[in-house]
Amino acid sequence: MRAPTISIKGRAFGDRVLLALVILLSLVMVAPVLWVIGLSLKENAELMANPNSVFQAPYTLKNYINTIGTSSVFVWVRNSIIVSGGLTLGTLILSSLAGYGFARLNFPGRNVLFVIVLFGLAVPEQAVLVARHQIFSMLNFHNTYHGLILPGLSASFGVFLMTQYFKAIPKELDEAAMLDNASRFRTFWKVLLPLTVPAQATLGIFTFLGAWNDYLWPLISATKKDMYTLTVGMASTQTNFAQSEGIGFLMAQAVFAGAPILIVYLFFQKYIVTAVSGAAVR
Amino acid sequence: MTADIEIRNVSKHFGAMTVLDDLSLSIKAREFIVFLGPSGCGKSTLLRMIAGLETVDTGEIAINNERIDHLPPGKRGIAMVFQSYALYPHMSVRDNMAFGLENIGMPRDVIDARIKESARILEMEHLLERKPGQLSGGQRQRVAIGRAIVKEPKAFLFDEPLSNLDAALRTRTRIELAQLHQRLQSTMIFVTHDQVEAMTLADRIVVMNNRKIEQIGSPMEIYDRPATKFVAGFVGAPAMNFVEATLDRSSRNATARFADGVSVQTEIASGQTSDGKYTFGIRSEDVGIVPVGQGNADGVVDVLERLGERTLVYARLGDGQQIVGSDAGNSRVAVGDKVGLAFDGRKSHLFGETGRAWHAGEV
Amino acid sequence: MDDRRATPRTALPAAGARTASVDIYAPQWRNFIFVAPFLFFFTTLLLVPLFWGMWLSFHKADTFSSGNFVGFGNYIRLFHDKVFLQSVWNTFYFVLLTVPTLALIGLFLALCLNRRTRTAAVLRTLFFSSSVLSVTIVTLIWRIVFIPNVGLLSTIYGWFGATAPAFISDPSLAMIGIAIATVWWCIGLPMMLFLSALQQIPQDIYEAAALDNANRWQTLRSITLPSIKRTFVLVVIVQIVLQFQLFGQAWLMTRGGPNNLTKPIVLYIYDTAFRRWDLGMGAAASEVLFVLILMAAMAQYLVTRNKAGQA
Repeated sequence: MRAPTISIKGRAFGDRVLLALVILLSLVMVAPVLWVIGLSLKENAELMANPNSVFQAPYTLKNYINTIGTSSVFVWVRNSIIVSGGLTLGTLILSSLAGYGFARLNFPGRNVLFVIVLFGLAVPEQAVLVARHQIFSMLNFHNTYHGLILPGLSASFGVFLMTQYFKAIPKELDEAAMLDNASRFRTFWKVLLPLTVPAQATLGIFTFLGAWNDYLWPLISATKKDMYTLTVGMASTQTNFAQSEGIGFLMAQAVFAGAPILIVYLFFQKYIVTAVSGAAVR
Repeated sequence: MTADIEIRNVSKHFGAMTVLDDLSLSIKAREFIVFLGPSGCGKSTLLRMIAGLETVDTGEIAINNERIDHLPPGKRGIAMVFQSYALYPHMSVRDNMAFGLENIGMPRDVIDARIKESARILEMEHLLERKPGQLSGGQRQRVAIGRAIVKEPKAFLFDEPLSNLDAALRTRTRIELAQLHQRLQSTMIFVTHDQVEAMTLADRIVVMNNRKIEQIGSPMEIYDRPATKFVAGFVGAPAMNFVEATLDRSSRNATARFADGVSVQTEIASGQTSDGKYTFGIRSEDVGIVPVGQGNADGVVDVLERLGERTLVYARLGDGQQIVGSDAGNSRVAVGDKVGLAFDGRKSHLFGETGRAWHAGEV
Repeated sequence: MDDRRATPRTALPAAGARTASVDIYAPQWRNFIFVAPFLFFFTTLLLVPLFWGMWLSFHKADTFSSGNFVGFGNYIRLFHDKVFLQSVWNTFYFVLLTVPTLALIGLFLALCLNRRTRTAAVLRTLFFSSSVLSVTIVTLIWRIVFIPNVGLLSTIYGWFGATAPAFISDPSLAMIGIAIATVWWCIGLPMMLFLSALQQIPQDIYEAAALDNANRWQTLRSITLPSIKRTFVLVVIVQIVLQFQLFGQAWLMTRGGPNNLTKPIVLYIYDTAFRRWDLGMGAAASEVLFVLILMAAMAQYLVTRNKAGQA
């Protein structure tokens, strides 16, 4: 019985090497964030004198108080909530209706239309950016909430996800509802839609996160400071930060902006992971 | 409420494939009809056509002399119990039952009264607030039936509703369904591939095979006088013995001769038959086990199946043909024994090359 | 509500004129209502801009007017513009830096963390967490890591008395700095894709291998890796599509500098269309990017398509 012993030893050694590597990588993940949090808790003057002072007291919440008191952060957070919330709600409604339509109902040209919608998955935002911007200029949509929300409503992913999800629900439920005298819409609304709650959650969180973190479109559409989303607003404050008077202040803003989204992530992890894996099978 | 249902010259195609070929059938009010057949014979399709879930390509369907095949499923006044039950998973039992009634704008107090009444009939008052996910298979089945009952439909359609239940529960539910039918006095159509369900439940069985109706009749008619070889083989367990035979039509009743010389005197009038190849058929209970040499043929016992009240004896004739006979429950026969097989001529059947059947005592 | 269809069907000789039987699955125009709202937005905000953009790329246009038709003029100017050619090269260079790194580290993490322990679950959460941050925060974090004096990197190098490489200002290192931040930001997705692929490998194959006395390395080489080959290709293509769209990191960390050496195509589009307001040329550049991404997407489609055939 020699072989098993050797393989067990080999396993222990191999495991240790792997573990060390994973720990190293996780340090790379965590260290920058801890550094940022550390900086955000320090007085600027002290930092400039000695970066290593991050590791020693005194710590202060002054940067956070300044963030809350002086910057436009709250306006941007509000804008982000309105835009992300509006886009999420709109996407859920449009995708659920269309998903049900494509999965369950028949209408002339259905299959061709579905292929065209799938083609939408392959169109990157940049390919339509310039034209969209010009159209929105003509319609005077820039620097408005609908100007920020509307482009996201054309994304195919939600329709694709919901179509797949509706297809997985047994058809007998529709037929039972039909025998129960329910109209198409009532079948959709009362019978099938409640069953798609997990998919709604997945799609909702996915859409919300995407909208919250979107940078390119808000950057070119929202050019007035009070229409900035949080992502754009934050970016606008860090343009000249190397010489900046307040690194700690900037870092406090970063923590202030990043923490809520990380907390949301921890809460809805399961759905986010599902969404990611769902995107994989497409 | 009850209704007669008339199916006239109905056909159905999926693309180039014919699923149902020119079927006609009258179902009387208050009748319990079972569509019986192997999978793929079109029985479920026919049921779904009555429900309005499939189109009727040609022909027509009428309920109480009113054409319904152009009506949407909800307007036909029928209720259906699906094989998978198709309960709405997110609604409580009560809401499941109420849904169809709410959709036609029935007043709340009538709905409540009906739910209460059918819950009482089905003895499931205590389940009303639960969700389908919290119920056992048998309970779900009841809810599915309850959902049909509250609608007080003209007819009930059942699509293999017992196939998802375990054996014991299936037997019990079968009996309950029979009681329910007596109580509601409503027309019921029941689709199954299980001949025991068909035999025990049906007033009349519609045996279907290969896009066509093979026979319509009461369970005992189907069993005793199968119209075709298919019906004879499909109904009854173990399946009827079939042996290829030629006929000796010299006397009043025909005598069947097997290839190895065995002959059986039937009670089928020679005059009804003609020359040609026949298949001789006899059920296992009509083949008695007797001492060697005293029966129509001798065989060696291959397998014994002891069912308790009787013993099935699988015996092999000289030419290798296997015949199932039946002996008393406490039969002393053992595997390898040589036994005599006595065919009961009064209970024998003959099948022509087209599958058409002749039975003893036919005029 | 009456479902009778208006179109009478060919009358049967026996039945005379008859009403068609109800077909609940027949195509009906009114079912279109369910998909119409989405199709409206899809058409007006995606299809129309897509073709409008193609049209624009053949015109000299600014924000409010589309001027003269210039044929392939914009494209010719584009391919004579050294900055554009540089940006194409930069994009490819960036993809080359990030995609293999993401795929390999992602695979490594997935292989290590594909177990049911609590530690593995926590680490999975950790490695994916950066993906939910916005590009603004990610670049802020990494600028503060790379920045001289108070930067994390220079502090660590400082402990050993060394000088940290200048990842943002050194022309030869700037793109690598952006790539590092990108890998840090994006590592969660490839890891998750590999994890879900690993979890789909039937357990009994491993049991069979164990009965055959296969050691870990053999199991990995002859069972695990072949089973996720398709996913590996998929991850690479998905990442190519994503990383081709590099914009925020480059814009926020280096502004495309030094010397346009970190300016990717999207940043070129942004500069041309929205800072120089040469919409026609910007549109032409975005068509070039579109074609590049479309090729990768087609490859992805083909890989996904082959799934059934291979299994």
